[in-house]
Amino acid sequence: MTAKTPDGKEIGKQSKHYHPQATNEKDEKMLYGAQVKVANIRDTSLQPMKTKAETFEFDLPEGVRTVDVTVSLIYELTNPEQRYEIHKITKKVSLDR
Amino acid sequence: MKFLKLLLVLLFIAVPLISSAEKAKTIDELAKMFDSSRCKTCHAEIYSQWEKSHHARPLMGVRGGLMLTPLAMKGATPFSPDNPQKATLKTFPCFKCHLPQAINYAEDSVAVELAEALIAKDSAKIGKLKITCIVCHNEKAIVHKLQDGNPEKGVLYGTKEVASHPDGTFKKVKKSAIINKAVMCGQCHGLGPNLEFDNPVQCANLYGSYLHNYISSGGTQTCQDCHMKPVNGKADHLITPNWDDIPQTTELLKNAISLNVETLGYQWLLKAKTYVPKVVVNTKITTTAGHRIPDG
Repeated sequence: MTAKTPDGKEIGKQSKHYHPQATNEKDEKMLYGAQVKVANIRDTSLQPMKTKAETFEFDLPEGVRTVDVTVSLIYELTNPEQRYEIHKITKKVSLDR
Repeated sequence: MKFLKLLLVLLFIAVPLISSAEKAKTIDELAKMFDSSRCKTCHAEIYSQWEKSHHARPLMGVRGGLMLTPLAMKGATPFSPDNPQKATLKTFPCFKCHLPQAINYAEDSVAVELAEALIAKDSAKIGKLKITCIVCHNEKAIVHKLQDGNPEKGVLYGTKEVASHPDGTFKKVKKSAIINKAVMCGQCHGLGPNLEFDNPVQCANLYGSYLHNYISSGGTQTCQDCHMKPVNGKADHLITPNWDDIPQTTELLKNAISLNVETLGYQWLLKAKTYVPKVVVNTKITTTAGHRIPDG
């Protein structure tokens, strides 16, 4: 998710990752790869029949009263280079309502 | 007595030869044993769907990736041998699902050949190993083995009986109790950690998620309902997603996952006379899938 001024300057960027996270249950390091993972220790995945609701906040720099907020929902497969952009929504948000 | 001794010696020699003769010693032999290419003669559409599926390239990952390679590399995983020549079937716990026919029908020499091929990045050779029609419609078609017996040789299993099946080897089709049920897929798209190996392996959790989150929340659909929707009246054996098809997979994800975004801009009063201009973005992501996303 990014927030940009009308002239394109990025004033904020935030992201959330939704996926099961596993270790080898011998130390605290998260691992990828079935051959080395042993069990999930945390699961932030999208769950069936449930809505994942989040709130993000951006504090605007002085003088900025309008930003374009772009939210991308991306499926990253096995590594961040293999991505599928599922949704991309841009909204103009202004303090001058 | 001498004759009896000789006969016993011969039997001891002969029995292992017979059983080893039923097992493949090379990748080519294993591929041939489970080759389903003749199925396309009558089931052209289904075969063409399957050819594009991940079941047709279970050791090739996505975009041709050879994801089993760490298992062949010394020290890369707890299973890895010191060198590829020392690989055995136990080197590849992934065979449980990625090549289930290897467990009962391959010698350790197949594992050695695979390990060498992985190190050599020999995609052509590795690509010969597939989860073919015979694997699902025979080898994996029965789970109630105490009640229904093991899959019979020369018999395929489907959603209905076919008394006479025009094939030289598989001359009959019997009804499988599970082939259109979620548990069929659950055999591999698993429950969680596989603790039966000498070192645990955790691959897919999907069936566990389906049972414990989807069914428990009132879900009623099977895996096949969503992933094998009929095309021209027959189950789609592409079994989406095909991750190599980016537009199709993106569309599938788009249909399953919705994103709602609401925003608010205002001046937040941090303390007296100190306003902070702030933008709030509320997102809601909802999925219609019968399992967690991501999983496999």
